[in-house]
Amino acid sequence: MRFLIAQVLPYITVTIFTLGVLYRLGRWAGARRVHNINLSPWVPDSGQMTVRIGTEAFLFRSLWIFDKGLWVGAIAMHLALLNIIGGHIVGFGFLGEQFAYIPGITVEMSKAASDMLGKIFGIILFVALAYLLLRRLTIPAVKQVNRTSDIFWLVFLLALVGIGNLMRFVYEFHMPYEHIYAYMAHLFTFQSVMGLPALDNYFFLAHFLLVQIMLILLPFSKLLHLFGMFGMRWLLHQPYQDPAPGLPNVDVQAARRAGLGVPAGDSSGGV
Amino acid sequence: MPEYKGMVQPVRATDAEMRKIHMEPVPDEQKPQKALEYLDYARKNYRSFVLAMESCVKCGQCAENCHTYLGTKDIHNIPTNRAELIRKIYKRYFTLEGRWFGKLVGAEDISLDVIEQWYSYYYQCSQCRRCAHVCPFGIDTCEVTFIGRQLLHWLGIVPKLHANVGAAMEKVGNHTGLPKPGIVDTLEFMSEEIMDEFGVEVEFSVDKPNSDIIYIPSSADFLLNPYTLMGAGMFFTYIGANWTIPSTVTEAGNFGLLFDQHYTQRHNVMRLLNAAQALNAKKIVWGECGHGWRAAKMYVPSLADRPVRWPITHIHDEIAELIRANQLKLDPTKITQPATLHEPCNYVRACGLNENMSTIIKSCVSDFREMSPNGANNFCCGGGSAILFDDPEMYQRRILLSSKKAEQVRATGVGANGNGILCAPCSICKAQLYPMVEEHELGVEVKGLVDLVGKALVWK
Repeated sequence: MRFLIAQVLPYITVTIFTLGVLYRLGRWAGARRVHNINLSPWVPDSGQMTVRIGTEAFLFRSLWIFDKGLWVGAIAMHLALLNIIGGHIVGFGFLGEQFAYIPGITVEMSKAASDMLGKIFGIILFVALAYLLLRRLTIPAVKQVNRTSDIFWLVFLLALVGIGNLMRFVYEFHMPYEHIYAYMAHLFTFQSVMGLPALDNYFFLAHFLLVQIMLILLPFSKLLHLFGMFGMRWLLHQPYQDPAPGLPNVDVQAARRAGLGVPAGDSSGGV
Repeated sequence: MPEYKGMVQPVRATDAEMRKIHMEPVPDEQKPQKALEYLDYARKNYRSFVLAMESCVKCGQCAENCHTYLGTKDIHNIPTNRAELIRKIYKRYFTLEGRWFGKLVGAEDISLDVIEQWYSYYYQCSQCRRCAHVCPFGIDTCEVTFIGRQLLHWLGIVPKLHANVGAAMEKVGNHTGLPKPGIVDTLEFMSEEIMDEFGVEVEFSVDKPNSDIIYIPSSADFLLNPYTLMGAGMFFTYIGANWTIPSTVTEAGNFGLLFDQHYTQRHNVMRLLNAAQALNAKKIVWGECGHGWRAAKMYVPSLADRPVRWPITHIHDEIAELIRANQLKLDPTKITQPATLHEPCNYVRACGLNENMSTIIKSCVSDFREMSPNGANNFCCGGGSAILFDDPEMYQRRILLSSKKAEQVRATGVGANGNGILCAPCSICKAQLYPMVEEHELGVEVKGLVDLVGKALVWK
């Protein structure tokens, strides 16, 4: 089982994830932008289009305007997730010493900061996911749009993040950076990982298995909404300039001087 | 009909009526299979549709922002759930998750019942795009309704109202079936009315060759909203324009947008371009019609079968431009009743007319009260996309669909003394609101925006 999860599955996961995302994006690219479905008020140029889509993607502009409660939960969840993904790459890549590259920061301080950031974002992510799940189960209108899979994904992510937090917070379950570094180095260089100390931690194996299941399912599920959002917004926020107003051969002042519309001989001031 | 297993449905076109719009109805036993074929076509060709099918995370943001759901509290009228009526089929047949996990992800087999569901709910959606406006991903459920109605059309299921309008448009060039002699007579009558009421000489010309401008009015303006057409005539006369109305296109609407974005909509586009060419026009100016303006402004370029030589603008664009240039003398004290503006959904979320409408009404009335929410946030009148069905069940539903609008109008207080003005510059909004302001006892009279311009113009 350990061999399957830690040695074989990662390669399958990466392959399915990559091909799956390409397949999904290919499906979308194959269909065309048939008509101009700009949403108005529109943006006049590509610079403002980038700003508009950027504020939607990174600041969740529409949610901020229309539902601040959901905005708080969503932005906390996604920002924490982004930091945690980055933290995994940088933390394991630099063994927690990444901040030591900043002048004045010692290796020990860097490791402490890395640990602290992991804890903070781990908690934020878990709480935000729990909030989103609670919202799904309690707000009447949201309850009415739920499908089983929507609940499943939140529970799944809570389990995944919960195990990660356990390893971070409970000393006995802690996973040293070096173990993961060594494990990843073996994976990347196609060497046997069996016998490496990382695989002795069952919490790590469970965490890693859930991550892989998520990545395998991601291209075929709603988790790919990130790219869908960019695709949809690209359709709605194309730069657009209104056709110039102005009527041909119209001289309003001349028309008024000529008294157009006013009956000949009408001297009353009634119209 | 109008009910199918507890779902309200509009009266549908007969087979003979479908043939008049060139569709041979598909027999019931073949409908499910054909529906899948057409759905496959749609997903492979319309990116807006496939993205709407595949990007929703079910956050529920659209629910309380849809007037249809707010009015009916029917869960299938929540925009994402309405889209789900197709999405469940789409998932089942065109996605791996639907094939593998079925009901867990909400996938379902196609059946006649599902198609009947489509007919009920896609003809309760006003295609107002408020859901796209509020959606964090910008998922445009209007695009799903477009596809839903397109599939139904190809299956031979179209409301009687829409099918008959499509046939009338092809026959005479307008929705009401008004032939050219009727148009000319009505316009002469309007000239007399303008003289009697405003003391102004306005000549409406029809098919005048070498006109600089062709004006495309809504055909409802000949019958139901005469002051809108009279206002347009007064405006063009005031500015000394060389203009005419083409008898072959006396219709600003294009129901093709609403049920058949292929032949029906394209046919109307080509009819317009032919008219512009025949009259040697330099510019096309559009009348008050929300969906029609969207169809003209945004869809003519992609539907025309040849290059479009004529700029197309809305009469509100032109009026607002002249107001800003201080070329129009308008006297707001001529209209002293409290007035509010219902901004049609197609104008504010699909055509960018927001500022211009505001500029015009503030110049025309002395007691303007802004509706809330307004602009791009405004709610639809409940009749959008011509769900103006008069059969008893659907009429009751229209009352529910307009309840959010009634709430908004009441909040402005314009009807408190029973003499308010509800300006709704779109023929479908007007047709919806004429009876609805009575049903909701709002104390307002429904008017167009150009109506107010005509009344406020100062001629000397």
